[in-house]
Amino acid sequence: MTEKTVYEHWRESGLSRRDFMKFCGLLSGMMGLEFLPPVKAFGAVAGPDPAGLVAEALTSKPRLPLIWLELQDCAGCTEAISRSQSPSLVNLVLNKIAVDYQETLMSAAGFQAEAAMRGTMEKYKGQYVLVVEGSPSVDANGVYCTIGGRSNLNILREAAAGAAAIIATGNCAAFGGIPKAKPNPTGARGVGEIITDKPIVNIPGCPAIPEVTTGTIAHFLVMGALPKTDSLKRPLTFYGHAIHDHCLRRPFYDAGKYAGAFDDSGARAGHCLYKLGCKGPTTYNACASLKWEQGLSYPVQSGHPCLGCSEPNFWDGGGFYVGQSAPLERPTVAAVGIAAGAGVALGAALAGTNAARKRKAEKAETAGPKESSE
Amino acid sequence: MDWTEILQFFRGSFFKISLLVFVGGMTYRLVRILLLGWPRDRVKSRGSKATGVVKTYLKGLLVLPFIPWVKRTFNKNALTYIAGGLFHLSLVLVIFFATPHMLVWKSLLGFGWPTLSFPVSDWLAAIGIIALIVLLINRLTHPVLKLLTRSPLWLNWTLVFLPFVTGYAMTHHMLFRYEVLFGLHMITVDVLLIWIPLGRISHFLFYFFSRTIHGAQAGKRAVTP
Repeated sequence: MTEKTVYEHWRESGLSRRDFMKFCGLLSGMMGLEFLPPVKAFGAVAGPDPAGLVAEALTSKPRLPLIWLELQDCAGCTEAISRSQSPSLVNLVLNKIAVDYQETLMSAAGFQAEAAMRGTMEKYKGQYVLVVEGSPSVDANGVYCTIGGRSNLNILREAAAGAAAIIATGNCAAFGGIPKAKPNPTGARGVGEIITDKPIVNIPGCPAIPEVTTGTIAHFLVMGALPKTDSLKRPLTFYGHAIHDHCLRRPFYDAGKYAGAFDDSGARAGHCLYKLGCKGPTTYNACASLKWEQGLSYPVQSGHPCLGCSEPNFWDGGGFYVGQSAPLERPTVAAVGIAAGAGVALGAALAGTNAARKRKAEKAETAGPKESSE
Repeated sequence: MDWTEILQFFRGSFFKISLLVFVGGMTYRLVRILLLGWPRDRVKSRGSKATGVVKTYLKGLLVLPFIPWVKRTFNKNALTYIAGGLFHLSLVLVIFFATPHMLVWKSLLGFGWPTLSFPVSDWLAAIGIIALIVLLINRLTHPVLKLLTRSPLWLNWTLVFLPFVTGYAMTHHMLFRYEVLFGLHMITVDVLLIWIPLGRISHFLFYFFSRTIHGAQAGKRAVTP
């Protein structure tokens, strides 16, 4: 017996075809199918009807088996998804088209949960998508993060071996995130540094934007491949522009109007937060365009500078409230003193040598004529 | 290694090293000059050395730039005087009063100060770049200057020009991604910091050194510096 398609699941749960088509339209819009190149790259043509393309995929394909691992994380990315204010999208993607194993969300626990994961891994070997949240820890053979008595490295390697593709969601899974911050006591890494033989896409953010994670999952289901990415393996659809590019405070940046403190007149007038440490110019994410909570707002709009949470090593990338132009490392007063001291010592030594040579030459000069007169 | 990592290196460890080389190098240069020694000034004191120093700075920085025609340098070579003057004005104002640069000083010194608005610092930077290009063309076409110019001077020009253009392109998001331009800007700034003690750009310090000495000598003799 062939598996039921996504659409069949959908109808069985009592949802109408009209709702389904609306969902397909929403999904295709969020995936950027109307104007982005991945559509053409995978042989399908979005053409004038991207919603039709999504509908076609969902009516012909079964649900996407998905395993969601949590390693060294705070479950913030899961929290963001489960509390998302766009249930029509996020919940539908996760409930109707995917997810078989998600430690935080599933009702099963302990051995039952492990059995569910193992069952999915065996049944859908080579077909399931592995979503990783949290960073793997490699020091001491991964003993710093164990689940059910097994090291995170074992679990990750085993789950990755049978996966069709891997989605590393959140900065921790993508680049190591907060666990990797200096001094990185557990040897945290990005998933891509450990699993190198599988197609992998990074959805960094702290947390990752729910619609970006689910949009990427949906992309894999619809297109049969991961979306086109940038050099850091982030989907271009969502990470193609810097926060600064779409920032609503950008006109104030261009005019040179900055907030100098969180409570000054500039801050109240909505001026640019560059002086307050905004990392928007070097941070690539969809915050400024997709925004959060169904397009309600995002950090910069709410008056807080961008922390750069979708970039590698953002936790060590300079103070959150220090202007981005400031150096990341500053010499200590002692180091400056030593450098200046070395300059003085070297200068004095060479000057001394010169003076001695000069005196010697003068002496020779004065002694010379005497000898010749004798 | 991607550009984010390159930027982190040149904003971080390498910047620190460059700054230390700069401090050590400039101290070395200053000590060498001071220890060259100069003959004792046996002239009878007729005026105040301090007044002479103050007068020379006021004259050099606040009076003469506004009445340049009284100077022979200006009358003989107006182009160099104007382009050179504008370049130095642009350089000083941009380095100390452009917002991103003030934030660098603030992080190094622990305190900040009011800055120029972006359009003003932006135009100043543009003026600096144009002035540098004018000076380069002049140097390339002037027969005598061409003969006098050796490779370190071309290097001086290049190492000052590059931070200017990369900084300008960065604030305008031109050509490349921001972190690429920021990375290039930091590379060029770091290299410049290392180069300054080795070349003639060290005059930024010796200018004040010699002006102070000459002002004091003139003050002692009660003559106009």
